[in-house]
Amino acid sequence: MKDSLYLAWRYLHHHRAKTLLLVLSLTVFLGLPLVMHAMSAVIQQSLLARAEGTPLLLGKKGSSLDLVVEALYFQPKGIEALTAADADEVDATGLALAIPMRTGLLAQQFPLVGTSLDYFAFRGLETADGRALAKLGECVIGADVAATLGLNPGDSILTSPSTLFDLAGVYPLRLHVVGTLQPSYGPDDRAVFVDVRTAWVAEGLGHGHQDLATASGDVLLKRKGGTATANAKLVQYNEITDENADSFHFHGDPASHPLSAVIVVPADDKAGVLLRGRFVNDSARQLLRPAQVVEGLNAQIFRFERVLQIIVWTVGLATALMFLLVMVLSWRLRADELRTMTRLGCSRWKAVQIMSAEVFLMVGTSVVLAAFFGFVIAHYGETWLQNLVLRGS
Amino acid sequence: MIELRDVRFEYTRGGFSLRVPELQISPGTRAAAIGPSGSGKTTLLNLISGIERPEAGRIDTAGVRVDSLSPVARRSFRITNIGFVFQDFLLLDYLDVLQNILYPYRLHHDLRLDADARNRAKRLAADLGIDRHLDRRPDELSQGERQRVAIARALVTAPKLVLADEPTGNLDPATKQHALDLLFEQCNALSMTLLMVTHDHGLLDRFDQVVDVSALEGSQP
Repeated sequence: MKDSLYLAWRYLHHHRAKTLLLVLSLTVFLGLPLVMHAMSAVIQQSLLARAEGTPLLLGKKGSSLDLVVEALYFQPKGIEALTAADADEVDATGLALAIPMRTGLLAQQFPLVGTSLDYFAFRGLETADGRALAKLGECVIGADVAATLGLNPGDSILTSPSTLFDLAGVYPLRLHVVGTLQPSYGPDDRAVFVDVRTAWVAEGLGHGHQDLATASGDVLLKRKGGTATANAKLVQYNEITDENADSFHFHGDPASHPLSAVIVVPADDKAGVLLRGRFVNDSARQLLRPAQVVEGLNAQIFRFERVLQIIVWTVGLATALMFLLVMVLSWRLRADELRTMTRLGCSRWKAVQIMSAEVFLMVGTSVVLAAFFGFVIAHYGETWLQNLVLRGS
Repeated sequence: MIELRDVRFEYTRGGFSLRVPELQISPGTRAAAIGPSGSGKTTLLNLISGIERPEAGRIDTAGVRVDSLSPVARRSFRITNIGFVFQDFLLLDYLDVLQNILYPYRLHHDLRLDADARNRAKRLAADLGIDRHLDRRPDELSQGERQRVAIARALVTAPKLVLADEPTGNLDPATKQHALDLLFEQCNALSMTLLMVTHDHGLLDRFDQVVDVSALEGSQP
């Protein structure tokens, strides 16, 4: 067998290009189902883990999947907004902790998430460097954001308003990075967290500007009684500092300010049931169990995976036939070599052994490569797959 | 060394038969087999080596009655007792010169590829003047050099008999003479019997015995 393997190895080595092509084809054929299964398992597992870690989610009526994806995975889906009053309503029941979530904005291409300090405790997020949020205009960034942008406490990051080219619209707000989070290997790693009121400032619901009472005449258009009207020369602040923090204010009723969703953490199971009962007939809002939504999604993924498997096996069969054809043609081209072997005294069994050794080496290498890639993806590819599939980057 | 008596052979597909009432080649003889194309020269080599089996008659090669051996035993006999040199050399392009010479050792468990075999291969290569090319591929060599590799491969197992099927057919006259010199020299040195098919009548005076296959009784195309 040693001699057969040696001859097979020398032949394959001499015809490297053909061997490489065949081995890669076989590796793809063998590895694709493994990788696909690993991917599916990782996606389902990571989707479910985060959803199961979120007992209840309050949002506007509409697509429950969009609500879960935006509130839990920070993927903008354009969901309709609740108001701060809705979070207050849940809080007022005394049955649950209400964690406000304002999503949909970006800070240098990373999701900007407005929330409260309760969110960090609820998700078990710990600070790797710096401190937690304390003031308006501060942010805490996820591990991936810190690594990608090279940011540390003391640096700053700009929000990316969607109305950049609207002169009357919202301007970027400079946020002060006060802390970086330890990796959690989930969507939180790629988020920029601010207090929900800072998020409202970022989207233009609150602002700070030069004091009109002390403003010079060329800034004022008119002053009548207690009301002053300024022109475009009025200095608008794009950064909240200790010096100008007092000038920041919100117009309108704070209770009407928007929230994308509210994470509802019931005190106990009974409180959860009671709360769900209260919202079951609500025509404008929905209180849902994210795990239930994701289980439905996973069932869809599983069905999709089965269809993919049929396609993969069909492609695999074609690959196997192609491999067989190449081997048969290869041996026909080597008829002289086979005749020489026979004339010298090589047994038929030995000739078959040499041919089999070539197939064995190629299939063996492909199996090892496919298993290696499958193992790597199953054990180390979770974050990569989450990035690829869940965040689309 | 080689003895054929009342041998009759016919290809199963018909169209050709060979009859050899009697043929004897003594040990250590340098014999040539001649005859026009299709007269049965290669068939004669195949019968002597046990590649083909006769319908009737008796064939003794190197003291073994090969016509009565099983196919497996014939292969074993062939690889341990006979060295072959082919017209087209039939070297393997994926092996270097040394591994081409040692090729028979890779094909049968009766031959043991050990240090002695490797040394013998290197010594033969040196004797044949190809020791500088041991790590080169056959397609990097000249025709004459490739022929010498083929001769070394035939001799490396120290066979009792060397069968050469027009081994100089593809060589120019100068190289042809040199290749023949080397083959004779090695066969003499190792006391081997040589039976060589040739169309070149100018070489016949160098052989001890000439077998005209077309003159054998009953040989018919």
